[in-house]
Amino acid sequence: MWLPILFLIIGLGLGLLTDIKIPDEYSNYLSIAVLAAFDTLFGGIRAYLEEKFDEKVFLSGFFFNVLLAAMLAFIGVQLGIDLYLAAVFAFGVRLFQNIAMIRRYLIDKKYFAKKLKKLKRN
Amino acid sequence: MKIKHKLVISLVFGLVGLMVAIQFQSNREPTERDTRDLWEIRSQLQDEQKQQQQLYQQIREAETTIEQYQAKSESEKVQTLKESLEVLKEEAGFTEITKAGLIIDITPVFLENESLQTYPELSPELLNRLINELNAYGATDIAVANERIVHITPIRSVNGETYVNNHPLPSVPIQVKVLADNPERLIDYMEVSQSKEDFSIENLQLDIHYEEEITLAKYEDPIVINSLQVTDSEEAGEQ
Repeated sequence: MWLPILFLIIGLGLGLLTDIKIPDEYSNYLSIAVLAAFDTLFGGIRAYLEEKFDEKVFLSGFFFNVLLAAMLAFIGVQLGIDLYLAAVFAFGVRLFQNIAMIRRYLIDKKYFAKKLKKLKRN
Repeated sequence: MKIKHKLVISLVFGLVGLMVAIQFQSNREPTERDTRDLWEIRSQLQDEQKQQQQLYQQIREAETTIEQYQAKSESEKVQTLKESLEVLKEEAGFTEITKAGLIIDITPVFLENESLQTYPELSPELLNRLINELNAYGATDIAVANERIVHITPIRSVNGETYVNNHPLPSVPIQVKVLADNPERLIDYMEVSQSKEDFSIENLQLDIHYEEEITLAKYEDPIVINSLQVTDSEEAGEQ
């Protein structure tokens, strides 16, 4: 579990230190892409806790979602509709659901672990 | 979990971190730093203090006027009213005024070259620029070819001729009379002003000289103030 967090910190540090900046007109795309990435990440964690994790689904989901979100934002700009709101809504809802599931799994795990310990002691 | 799975997830985590960092950095606005040094701050402070003093003086003048109005006798009130009216008329340009100032002669320049040259004309834009510049450098009263410039003076082009106060200007040379509280300073400013260059592009020359006593003609036409209205200052603030 430590390796992903280490990589996250490395990524953050790399981004902050290199001083890369996205022009204002593209920051919309990046924000929605970040949201998509978060959604995929939490989805992956949930799948792992459910022991259904599939590398192919995870990787393809990550890139596909990011691209789809960016494309939706792009089409929205071209059509003059705030279409990226659709992506924000969808990803936002899924993000909350995923995090709720993860929380429940973690609580269940701890609960069962404690009960098992008690049973063993008895 | 296999090490390969872990590596994949880790790489995606790293990518997400990078994206978040870039997003964070793009949205962060650079903090504005105060780069003025001590000297600039001090001079600005001085300017503000000067302005404060001016405002205090204006308040004092207004207060004395109010006091005079509140004085008992009727004749005094009338006297004060007349004085205020006189001051206002002078400010609006309804009176002749004689003061030290400068005279700007606008004269045509003829170049000695082969190409044909038309007689130089003073365009409204050029005159506007000159007046703006004079006002910016502290002129108090201006008259162009004996047309007094007041707050509502129109300067415009009518059928190719330049009209000031709805009267056509004569062709150059034209005299511009300018009064100022500090005429020497104004001359210094005008000698190096942008106007000189702008006029020379149009083949016009500005000759500026100081005069001890200049009399400006008064503004002749009536000022139309139909669109002006008295505001009820009491209305605001209540409710």
